Amino acid sequence: MELNIGADFSLDPAGRYYADGPASGEQFRELVLKPLLEKLGKSEKLLITLDDGVESYGSSFISEGFGGIVKYGYMSSEELLSRLEFIYSDEDYEFFEGRIREIVSEAKFGSKEYLSSKADR
Amino acid sequence: MKKISSRTRSRDVARSLVHRSGNLRSHTTQQVGRSESGFVARSTGPNWFGRQLGFGLDLDKSDGGAITINLPESMNFSSDYEMTVLYLMAIRRLAIKKPHKKQAHLAMVNFSGLMRISTSAALVLTAELSKWEDSIRQKLRPEINNWQFDILYKFYELGFFELFRNNPFEGTEAESSGSVQLVRYIKGRTGDTAMTRQLKAAIGKVVGDGIDKWVFLNTGLSEAITNVTHHAYNYEWFRSKDKTWYLTGSYNSESKELKIVFYDQGIGIPKSLPASDIWERALKYLSSFPSIERRRDATMLKAAVELSRTSTGEDDRGKGLQDLLEFVRQRNEGYLSILSLKGLYKFSIEGGRERVKSVHFSNPLYGTLIIWRTVLDA
Repeated sequence: MELNIGADFSLDPAGRYYADGPASGEQFRELVLKPLLEKLGKSEKLLITLDDGVESYGSSFISEGFGGIVKYGYMSSEELLSRLEFIYSDEDYEFFEGRIREIVSEAKFGSKEYLSSKADR
Repeated sequence: MKKISSRTRSRDVARSLVHRSGNLRSHTTQQVGRSESGFVARSTGPNWFGRQLGFGLDLDKSDGGAITINLPESMNFSSDYEMTVLYLMAIRRLAIKKPHKKQAHLAMVNFSGLMRISTSAALVLTAELSKWEDSIRQKLRPEINNWQFDILYKFYELGFFELFRNNPFEGTEAESSGSVQLVRYIKGRTGDTAMTRQLKAAIGKVVGDGIDKWVFLNTGLSEAITNVTHHAYNYEWFRSKDKTWYLTGSYNSESKELKIVFYDQGIGIPKSLPASDIWERALKYLSSFPSIERRRDATMLKAAVELSRTSTGEDDRGKGLQDLLEFVRQRNEGYLSILSLKGLYKFSIEGGRERVKSVHFSNPLYGTLIIWRTVLDA
């Protein structure tokens, strides 16, 4: 299964919560990444294209978008990392792959209960 | 305008400010929530202007309370930091409210004595004057006849004159003769991260090429904008229309120096730290400092940046400030400066060596100013 963040989600992913903007980590996790992970076959990987028009990934987005999968108890760090494979042609994006892996590794499984930030508004 | 002695002027300004906010107490302490700057000032009452005149603030005041601020010769946040923020503070205090009859208010800012201004000071000055009560500002036509040409052109490039309905450059174009080019400032609100693409396009035009490692600068800008939402204006007394940020860049074709400047007029990083998710860890970090230094803005600022490096999965908040450093790290040269209230945090790489400098100032720069500086083709 494949996911091209720029084409399938946004060219400008940024921020943590819905209130932060139109392409937040929360929106990415809940509406894109989590549904795709749930559809994966037993040993299937999700191939994620990181560049292709996307300018950058801030820590807030990565933390909520990827780390949140672990933090809210959807999947453990080990399992999530084993399911993700990153694709990019620009070598600078190796940094973002590293940042995603670092943040996911450090996330504590089930440490928070997810409450949509949309409910506050 | 009647000419008066500096002593009389000092007394008149001080007296008129008693009436500025309808508060007749001789020493006014602005409370959190009522102050536009968002924090408790030790003494922001009528004596403030009187004292600052003694420190070099140059004002003229008319009988009707109209004040002209005469800008100094040089404005920047390095060698002239204290004087520069003094003038910005004065503008902030005078410009933000619609005055009552005879109340001291900002009527004019005189640029004719200004000979040099840095890109960052020009951006902050533009941001402060954009807060000038709309009904006053829109009636003004900047009198540019006595401006130094370099200054005039710098503000023209920045887009400063578009703040005024009576734009002296409307329908005309000016040409630069200098080596430094600025890009028109971008003003955004919370969530406007896509607007950084405008800066990339504008800088690319000026430089004539792409900027190596731009993705890392964009990461820093993205986090700076996210920070504006989460911390800078995360207090109920900020009006929705005031939750803005400003962005510009400059390029010196001779020295190949590129500067990118981001500014928000929020509460400031040192003041937002106690309400943040990393405050508990910050307290432990701060306990290692002598007590007199712990609550200093420079120390709080350093804590915020340094702690973001060690953010863990449990408290994954706070990594964002480390993103600001990455552009300099990836290019392996240049510096990042963060100025917020009375603190400066400067991270630099020179000759492959990383250095951190932390400075505490006497006067605050309201909000947070972030400056990236690098030399292209270095």
